[in-house]
Amino acid sequence: MIHLEKIEKEFLQGQEKTSVLKGVDLEIKKGEFVAVMGPSGSGKSTLLQLLGGLDVPTEGKIEIDGSPLHQMKEKERTVFRRKNIGFVFQNYQLLPTLTVEENIAFPLHAEGKITSEKSRRVQELINSVGLKDVSNKRINLLSGGQQQRVAIARALIQNPAVLLADEPTGNLDREKAEEILALLSTFHAKHKQTIIMVTHDIFAAGFADRIILFKNGRIDQIISRKDDNYAQYLAHFMA
Amino acid sequence: MLNTWLISWRNITTNRKRFFFTLFAIMLGVSFVTAMLVSERTTDQVFDYYEQMYVANADYWILSDEHTYPEEMLTTLQENPDVNEQLLVLDKQTFLSVEGDQSLSQRSVRITGVSDQRSPLLELPVIDGSLDNEGIVLPEAAADLLGKEVGDTIVFSGLGEAKISAIVEYTQILASPGDWERAESMGFRVMMPLNTLREWTGIEDEISYMRFQTEGEGIELFQSLQNEFQDSSVYIQPVVADDLQSNDIGGLYTFFYLIAGLSMFISGFIVFNMIYTSVIERKKEFAIMKSLGYVQSAVSGFILIEVALLALIGTVFGVPFGVLLGDVFMKALLGVFEFDMVYTLDWKIPVLISVFIGLLFPVLFSLFPIYHAGKTSILLALKGEQRETASKYLVWRSSVGAVLLALGFIDHAAAYFTIVIGIILLFPLLLMGISTVLKPVLTALFHHPGTLAAKYLTQQLNRNANTAAILAVGIAVIMMLGAVVQSAPAGYDEEIRSTYGGDVRVTFEAPWTEEDRNTILQYDIISAAEPITEATPITWETRKGVSRQFSVISVSENGPELFEAEGDEYAKLSEGPTVVLGSRAFEEWGGEIGQTIEMNSPMGKRDFEVADVVATSHYSGYVAFMDESHLQRHFGWSNSFDLLLTVTDGEAGALREQLWSDFGDNLSKVQTVEEEIQSVVSAITGMNELLMVMLILVIGLASIGTGNTLLMNTLERTKEIGTMRAVGFTKSQVRKMILAEGLMIGLAGIVGGVTCGVLLIYIMSQSVIMGGFLSFQFPVSHVVLSIVAGITLSLLAAWVSSESATKMELQSSLREG
Repeated sequence: MIHLEKIEKEFLQGQEKTSVLKGVDLEIKKGEFVAVMGPSGSGKSTLLQLLGGLDVPTEGKIEIDGSPLHQMKEKERTVFRRKNIGFVFQNYQLLPTLTVEENIAFPLHAEGKITSEKSRRVQELINSVGLKDVSNKRINLLSGGQQQRVAIARALIQNPAVLLADEPTGNLDREKAEEILALLSTFHAKHKQTIIMVTHDIFAAGFADRIILFKNGRIDQIISRKDDNYAQYLAHFMA
Repeated sequence: MLNTWLISWRNITTNRKRFFFTLFAIMLGVSFVTAMLVSERTTDQVFDYYEQMYVANADYWILSDEHTYPEEMLTTLQENPDVNEQLLVLDKQTFLSVEGDQSLSQRSVRITGVSDQRSPLLELPVIDGSLDNEGIVLPEAAADLLGKEVGDTIVFSGLGEAKISAIVEYTQILASPGDWERAESMGFRVMMPLNTLREWTGIEDEISYMRFQTEGEGIELFQSLQNEFQDSSVYIQPVVADDLQSNDIGGLYTFFYLIAGLSMFISGFIVFNMIYTSVIERKKEFAIMKSLGYVQSAVSGFILIEVALLALIGTVFGVPFGVLLGDVFMKALLGVFEFDMVYTLDWKIPVLISVFIGLLFPVLFSLFPIYHAGKTSILLALKGEQRETASKYLVWRSSVGAVLLALGFIDHAAAYFTIVIGIILLFPLLLMGISTVLKPVLTALFHHPGTLAAKYLTQQLNRNANTAAILAVGIAVIMMLGAVVQSAPAGYDEEIRSTYGGDVRVTFEAPWTEEDRNTILQYDIISAAEPITEATPITWETRKGVSRQFSVISVSENGPELFEAEGDEYAKLSEGPTVVLGSRAFEEWGGEIGQTIEMNSPMGKRDFEVADVVATSHYSGYVAFMDESHLQRHFGWSNSFDLLLTVTDGEAGALREQLWSDFGDNLSKVQTVEEEIQSVVSAITGMNELLMVMLILVIGLASIGTGNTLLMNTLERTKEIGTMRAVGFTKSQVRKMILAEGLMIGLAGIVGGVTCGVLLIYIMSQSVIMGGFLSFQFPVSHVVLSIVAGITLSLLAAWVSSESATKMELQSSLREG
């Protein structure tokens, strides 16, 4: 469902070009939960930005459900992102002047008028992330865990086919991180979204079907839950 | 070692767009101030130059209350060794012979015969030809209209013909019309040798007046001549350079200073907004500095240097641009007043003053943020916390605003300032109101971006309110000026009609005789022909001892109404040798009613009690009135050179032709009350157009503030805008949001400005101290222009800011968080 072919990404740093992704080929199946790991600067966040259409590759193809993201113009990418991709960021990226409900409904507003059906979905999501009591409060009054719940609800409001999560538990303590990961797993089990999660946390990665290890802009290793030695690898990493 | 200036330069240029916006605002502010100062000085200098050219080097002149007097009366004077230079002058009225069907009034010409065209008592700036004491000297405007060049012949009906020997620049003594329409009410003036004119007219031993220059001040000679001429029609007057009787430009200077002050205020406000925001943004930086040992004054010093740098650059670019702008403004101004004058820009002193102002005002407006930077709390800033004072501040600001606004209803000059400041302080409330009212409209227009814009507008409430207030102040002040200019024609119309004294004023170069008057009374359409006696020029002294000159006009209770009598003015005038002064003369004199004014009457130096001050259209109020019997007794003046005609019915045009036909040999001017009104009103209409241009410039300047504010708002919301884009907002939706914010700031400025303007106009119209100077009215054209320019320029400014927002790189804006 997600097809990446020979993806290259270069950035200009001053006068010099820095290659961040060097010929990445990857296939991710529909409904798969994938964790992307690797040291800082290995290219994992850049990969997420390319998948989300926030940026375009220097070379290569990205197709999501057959749609060529690499060929789309900026506006097309924005509309595609709005309808098909949900984003969860490490630092939540919520709009501080809006309430919980307004933040969650924001992508719907970006599309146009909110129908009663959509309104219902907002309420359902608020309930399902456990924020009913604070739905009319401003973001700055919430805890980190609550803010990340809002971010997850916002990412899921359009019922996107793909959910991209960039270090979703990076700013949370273990207890809150477990809650968020459990929430993601629940939604994944229920709605079968494709989830691609960038993380440094092997515990978080343990929730994924596959773990993709990045090193120097290339895929170094892919570990699948189906692999015979998956548990061994995981234990090795955790150690 | 740290180079403080270099660091400050880096700081102010970190955000280049904001730097240029602020710099541009300072530059425009300084330019407007420079332009207005240059215009004021140049206008003053131009009028002074032409007045000096008119009086040249003459110290005294000897005139008569007859058309001419015998030259032999001057024999002893001409031989006096104290007289250095002398010039004999004879004026004669006649008609030009021109091709085409011009009427007699259009062809009327005054020939001034002079004993020496090259005399130092005359200043004739030659453009072409030479002053050869043989031919005719023609002003450029007349030469152009008549299509004549040096060497061409001019024919004077019934007198003779002569060749043109010189064409000269505009000078008061030869002021002539530049088109045939103006020629209808303004005669041509040319100069020729006295001998030739004497030959043509047969007036061999007579002259109209004589000018002379003395060795030293010549006071003894003046006094002895005053005594000598006491019982004759001849009198002596010192030559005084005073153009206030022919020009009423005092109001213009107020206009110049208002525009300069307004632009400086707007520009200063923009600087304040920018520096204040910069200080708030850099609190952490200041806290670190303070934690490293910098004292409050050192931190403030950093900001002061940044402001000084901005002021310096703004002044360096603004002042030269201002001089250029001043030149353009002068051209427009002289065009408005139809002066065929040449001018040299007087820029040196204005440039010095502008440099001083340019360096000072940005610093003055930044004093609060400079102080605020120094007062940064280390702990609060490093923790990223802010004291919760916003709501308290809003209450305080709004309360003070409401009090100041209420104080505006007290009839005092300071009330105008309290209204403006009060409205500025109330702007946050207005902005909140506008945001609430417009939210549904903007949502309908722009969808969700509109809703968000209404929300974000109140997020930076004070900054956005201040920005809208800048625009509002500009609009309000220009509206007030517009109302003054618009109400002026009606006011002048009323004043001229009520004090002109008739429908047509007919001026003769010789005294009117009873026979002439009877002839005119025989005309079918004339119901009255009242002579008015005008002693002119009469020199006098202000309370400060400055020499001035004006006309003293005789009045009587049963005669034509020449001023607005409100009480017992006529009774006071008839009681004794008293005068009533027109308002401008009274102001220039500087005394109080009941005090005496010293005049050089033809009978010698006399003190007259000032019985009252009155409104009159004659010489725009730069005149004195005296009872006719007293004028005759104390001035020895009985002749009338003017008749005021009352027309029952019929065409003024036909009357004019008849007058020129019957009295053409001596008639110098025929002016209807309508023409007098028209000449005043056309200048005001021109001023109104100039004001419209100024209005657009002021709104443009205020829009730079809007652009700057929106840019600051946008930059502060980089992360939020990045998030919006990440979750599905398109670039065009982000642009719409910022455009809607700009639109609301513009609308708030317009609503607040128009409200403030209407309030100011109303208070001014009701003011007792303004003495009915302005009638209440709504200057529709100014309001329409304010709305159109305000919305357009605000949207333009918002567009520039939205460019920055849409060009933000998504990944880096998300990282900002």
